[in-house]
Amino acid sequence: MAKSEDLAPIIIGCKKGDPQCFSKLIDVYASRCYGFFYRLTGNRTTSDDLLSELFVRLVEKIGSFKGGSFDSWLFKTASNIFADYLRDRQRQDKKIQAQKSILQPEQTENRHQENEPLDKLQVQLGRLDGDTRQLIMLRFYSQLSFKEIARMRSEPIGTTLSKLHRGLKKLRDLMEQQPYE
Amino acid sequence: MNNQDKENLRQMFEIFVNSDQAEEAAEDIRRAEQILDEYPAPEPDSRLLARIKAEVTAGLQQSKAGIHRRMVYKIAVAAAAAVVILAAVSVKLFEKGVVVPQKFTYTPAIPRTIWESKLLADDDENLASLTAEFEDIESEVLAVHSGKTNGNSNMAELEIELTEIDSDFWKG
Repeated sequence: MAKSEDLAPIIIGCKKGDPQCFSKLIDVYASRCYGFFYRLTGNRTTSDDLLSELFVRLVEKIGSFKGGSFDSWLFKTASNIFADYLRDRQRQDKKIQAQKSILQPEQTENRHQENEPLDKLQVQLGRLDGDTRQLIMLRFYSQLSFKEIARMRSEPIGTTLSKLHRGLKKLRDLMEQQPYE
Repeated sequence: MNNQDKENLRQMFEIFVNSDQAEEAAEDIRRAEQILDEYPAPEPDSRLLARIKAEVTAGLQQSKAGIHRRMVYKIAVAAAAAVVILAAVSVKLFEKGVVVPQKFTYTPAIPRTIWESKLLADDDENLASLTAEFEDIESEVLAVHSGKTNGNSNMAELEIELTEIDSDFWKG
């Protein structure tokens, strides 16, 4: 996490539209945001697109950042981008399913056609429900406190604590028990 | 030091569960987060970052050009509106043939002779005739009271005369 005093001049520069400051901001946050998207999608190409979308959207939205925790604001934007991506994918899936049922009803196909190998963590993360997976990744990659995460998700801190505890415990159990497939 | 380092997980859990359960929950989280540390996600490709930076720069240029275009458009609209208003006002003035007065003239509401008079009853004609009428009436009233004239006919004439005077006076 970048120190807020180091980050302040960069954000001011970004608000003024300085490309150098945006470049620095990308250098500071690209790794964590990419990790966040990758662990949620398990796909490098999609993560590339989402990371690109995040920083392009940042150019448009940086003026609306009114201070406070920049990390919280950035990861909130990243979460919104991921939610948009999920909605788009659901729409596409429905369309594809509808077309398939008309043209080739007997043929079924696994949606995951990627050849890239997934690590054990990625496989076990896939066994968690979407909201829990997103909460764990938000906590890990945004490095925000529980209080900040609860505020971002507009839920009581007790709810966030409990969901995250249950999710992490389940993930740990899966990692310790399940053999790597 | 990030915001996570500052928070005490055990204390946070103690708000909701007892001390032992809080310690256990905090430990669960710490151990699970260690697993996440052991499996780092892949890093973004340097070519991807270069492409994103180029996209951002292009986006900034477009946004600047957009701002400039919007500003020019606003100024053009304001100038056009001003020209239209000016033209409309000019046409209206031309059609009406409005003549702007060159010099103001003043005329007194009360005639100068009356304003400067020292004896208003003599200088104002209306007031002089009214005074004469009053004097006539006064003499006639005195005649009636002294019994020199026939009271009935004189009283009737007097009333008619008073009515005329009254109406003439208020007419001005």
